[in-house]
Amino acid sequence: MSKGSPSSRSDLWGGFCWVALGSLILIESLRMERFDNMGATLYTYPGFVPGVISCVIVLLGLFMILRGMKSKVSTDSNAEPLINRRFVISLTCMLVFSLVLLAHAHFLVATALFVGAFTFLFANEALSLKKRLVSASINGVLSSCVVYFLFQEVFLVRLP
Amino acid sequence: MFDGLIAFGHSIANFSTPQIIFYALLSSLVGVIMGALPGLTATMALALMTTLTLKLEPNQALLILICTYVGAIYGGSRSAILLNIPGTPASAASCLDGYALAKQGLAGRAMGIATTGSVLGTLIGMFFLAFFTPLLGNLALKFGAYEFFWLALFGVIIAGTLTGDDPLKGWIAGIFGLFIAGIGQEPQYGFERFSYGVRDLAGGIQLVPALVGAFGFAELLTAIKERQVPIKISAFDTVIPKIRDITKYWRTILRSGLIGTGVGIVPGVGEDVAAWSSYAAAKRSSAEKEMFGKGSVEGLMAAETGDNACVPGAIIPVLTLAIPGSAPAAVLMAAMIIHGVKPGPMIMIENPQFVYDVVAMMLFATIGILIYGLVLTKALVQVLRVPQNFLIPIIFVLCVVGSFAIAGRMFDVYVMLLFGLVGFGLRHFGYPMAPLVLGIVLGDLLEKNLRRALILSDGDISPFFTRPISAVVATLIFGTIAWKIWDLRNKKIAKEAS
Repeated sequence: MSKGSPSSRSDLWGGFCWVALGSLILIESLRMERFDNMGATLYTYPGFVPGVISCVIVLLGLFMILRGMKSKVSTDSNAEPLINRRFVISLTCMLVFSLVLLAHAHFLVATALFVGAFTFLFANEALSLKKRLVSASINGVLSSCVVYFLFQEVFLVRLP
Repeated sequence: MFDGLIAFGHSIANFSTPQIIFYALLSSLVGVIMGALPGLTATMALALMTTLTLKLEPNQALLILICTYVGAIYGGSRSAILLNIPGTPASAASCLDGYALAKQGLAGRAMGIATTGSVLGTLIGMFFLAFFTPLLGNLALKFGAYEFFWLALFGVIIAGTLTGDDPLKGWIAGIFGLFIAGIGQEPQYGFERFSYGVRDLAGGIQLVPALVGAFGFAELLTAIKERQVPIKISAFDTVIPKIRDITKYWRTILRSGLIGTGVGIVPGVGEDVAAWSSYAAAKRSSAEKEMFGKGSVEGLMAAETGDNACVPGAIIPVLTLAIPGSAPAAVLMAAMIIHGVKPGPMIMIENPQFVYDVVAMMLFATIGILIYGLVLTKALVQVLRVPQNFLIPIIFVLCVVGSFAIAGRMFDVYVMLLFGLVGFGLRHFGYPMAPLVLGIVLGDLLEKNLRRALILSDGDISPFFTRPISAVVATLIFGTIAWKIWDLRNKKIAKEAS
């Protein structure tokens, strides 16, 4: 699927998702406190603007569904998959770093480990194992030290 | 006029210290490198640099951000010319003729033209920034709640219309952004909306982590998904631009500068539209139309002048209306607010010197890109050879650190991760990110002014359409929507007929 090209199936699913999200926001907006006892009017209700926005989302979602139903059925046979192996590995590494490593290890260690592992996992397979290991280790250690020094010491920014 | 020149002179004098010049040159270089690397955009560069400069003096921090911005938009041309991959979306138009010139062995000349166009484009935009900001500032003083409501909506709608291939998806992204802006305490009663007891959500979604996620993390995920092909960089000749190229195409330069600045002023549109519009206008009026796409110097000059002229143009509505002209300008506006600068109609009354400070910062940035464009070409080309697997983890670390640094809490890192994943999914299905960002930035302005206007008119919506400025902006919004629907309908009919 080319970027942004309207395909009937993604329009249909997308439309349904937006209608569902819009409806949820609308329900939540209607449930919000109204502060009538403080002299609030319709325009000052906390749920007024989100309610209006949710109606627009529902309306646009319905348009999308309508468009998806009207256009010829597309099987999206050439569609690029949303995720692939590289994506899954990289996302796992990134989540492990930000959610686990940073919480349990010092920033320098966590960053060196993450950068090193990532560099190694996605290194050019034509290179020898030793070369991949050495370059990944150097990248890990160097980049963690540089980021640490730059943020903490030069720009006085707190690190996780 | 002379007051402006004197104020500009003061700004230049204030900034002419070794430390400021060092910051300007360094940040221009960072911008050029980030812009040149495919997958890293100007918005991402600005979002990351915002977090790095949190503890600096406001003027120093904003100088760094403006130099990064100008540098990144210019830097995109390097990879467009040498690799046929636009470093930033703004450089996509430069690929057409830049790479064609490179294939003819004229990559050096193409880079020289890109440098010339970018420098002249920024200078033209700078002139209008200095000249128009006070005028627009005075006009903005006449704006009331009705006008600001329409302007906020205009930014979202126009960004949705012009920044993607499918306006319906663009509008949905923009409206979704408006909803996100409403999360947290509402302005009237302090009622917590959509926070579900999560204390960190009560303050709302911080703009910078959301932007780092949508533009940084999402871009990294998109980049890593595709296996990097071995880079083959075209050989190049001298990069010193020829005076003949400037004198021969002065009309194109001027026209593209005007178009670029004009597109920049329109809320939410951005540099890529400026480049394509300038390119299309140059092609229409060129005597060498057949050369476009095959290595036209005029085409490359137009695209590069247009996108860089858009940068100062996009800052004009930031300063005068607090409405960003492009996605990177939205980050810049957020940074201004973080550093205590209040952009908006009152700026020419409360802090007029700041406008000329921004013009001076732009001049420093222009000098920076001129130097790097002429001197550091070979070194910059080497940056393009750095493998993806070395860069991506470092940039991700910067995304995490940057998000954390804003308020020193992990919650913002989670926001960044969530926006990255949502942004990645939305991008995959063709939803543009610029309207989403504009929606988040403009949501507060839209809500406050809609409520204020309705309270003032006691629920009567007629002033939204009868006040002169309101009527003009409303007509523009509805006209844009109607035109786009009509255009899509015509295209569909033509497609079915063929």
